[in-house]
Amino acid sequence: MSSPAAPSATLNTTSPPPTPLALFQLFFGVALSGIGGGLPAHTRRAVNARRWLTDVEFAESYTLAQLTPGPNAVNLAAMIGARLCGRLGALTSVLGVLLPGLTAMLGVTAVTLGLPGGLPGPVQSALRGAACAALGVMLTAALPVARVGADVRGGGVVMALTFLALGVLRLPLLPVLLVMLSAGLIIHRPRRASGDS
Amino acid sequence: MTSADPELFWALLYEFTRLGLISFGGANIAEMERVLVGQRGWIDAQTLANGFALGQVMPGPNMLAVTHYGFAVGGWAGAGAATLGFYGPTALISAAVALLWRRHSAHPWVSAFRDALLPFGAGVLLAGALVLGQGSVKGWPDLLLAMVAFVLLWRTRLNAAVVVVSAAAAGALLGL
Repeated sequence: MSSPAAPSATLNTTSPPPTPLALFQLFFGVALSGIGGGLPAHTRRAVNARRWLTDVEFAESYTLAQLTPGPNAVNLAAMIGARLCGRLGALTSVLGVLLPGLTAMLGVTAVTLGLPGGLPGPVQSALRGAACAALGVMLTAALPVARVGADVRGGGVVMALTFLALGVLRLPLLPVLLVMLSAGLIIHRPRRASGDS
Repeated sequence: MTSADPELFWALLYEFTRLGLISFGGANIAEMERVLVGQRGWIDAQTLANGFALGQVMPGPNMLAVTHYGFAVGGWAGAGAATLGFYGPTALISAAVALLWRRHSAHPWVSAFRDALLPFGAGVLLAGALVLGQGSVKGWPDLLLAMVAFVLLWRTRLNAAVVVVSAAAAGALLGL
């Protein structure tokens, strides 16, 4: 790939250049170290250590990964892979980030769901305890996002209405997305005057 | 495992592709519950919560729960359909966007789009937390455990997996 992002790559002479195989290894390691979440943080540390992306380039990829549909960590892997090594890099990065967890999840699932008569009592209790903690994990992930959302002009209202529509009223997501996105685009439509942000 | 039902395979592939494409900034638990538990009746609320908890202690992305759900519905083939549908198309889109972004990032409508989408994504996440809480919190001990986990994660630098595994041990001891 002849990318114009060359300056960041010329900064260093020690670390090897990104290749599809190296990306696979990087994201495989990120997945292993990121048990319990925090994958973006681990990704940032890994690409920084190899000097493959500047902080600005990483921030851009991270924002985009949040804005494209789908799970963040996998989107981020696809974006960084594509950016550094094109299509093949995207493929190996996604495989690398998914493979460890996929193997583990399939193993655990095949065992636990295959048990006759359902899960044994203590395992069921343990999973319920873990589910409560998982709720805590989810809240810690949601609050920073909510803070960013509330900082956007009109964001608090859009956020609250989305929460009500999806969480309380259980409306299907696509119509809610269309309404909220239209409202947001009207609020934030680009103006010719330069005075606002 | 009963995995030789092509109709079920395609239904799973379709639903999980859709679920992947409409989740922004994280898990879209509210929509998953509506479709998988309510509309299709494929899994129950307990399986939804169990899978989510398992996803938290697995290496890699937290939403590997979809693999668990797919397996619960259609065995190995179901797990494959759910995983492929959920992660495949969205990863393709991300890669394509990454390749396009640099050319168009200066366009004013791009930043308008970003500002419009951010609060929506936050609302989706909060709704997901509510739905998940209704599935897993059924009494005061559950609520207390969730609050303790939240405070520990929010205030300390403990690894999330450590907190989740400890909560699992607490759950087994208390017989939740």
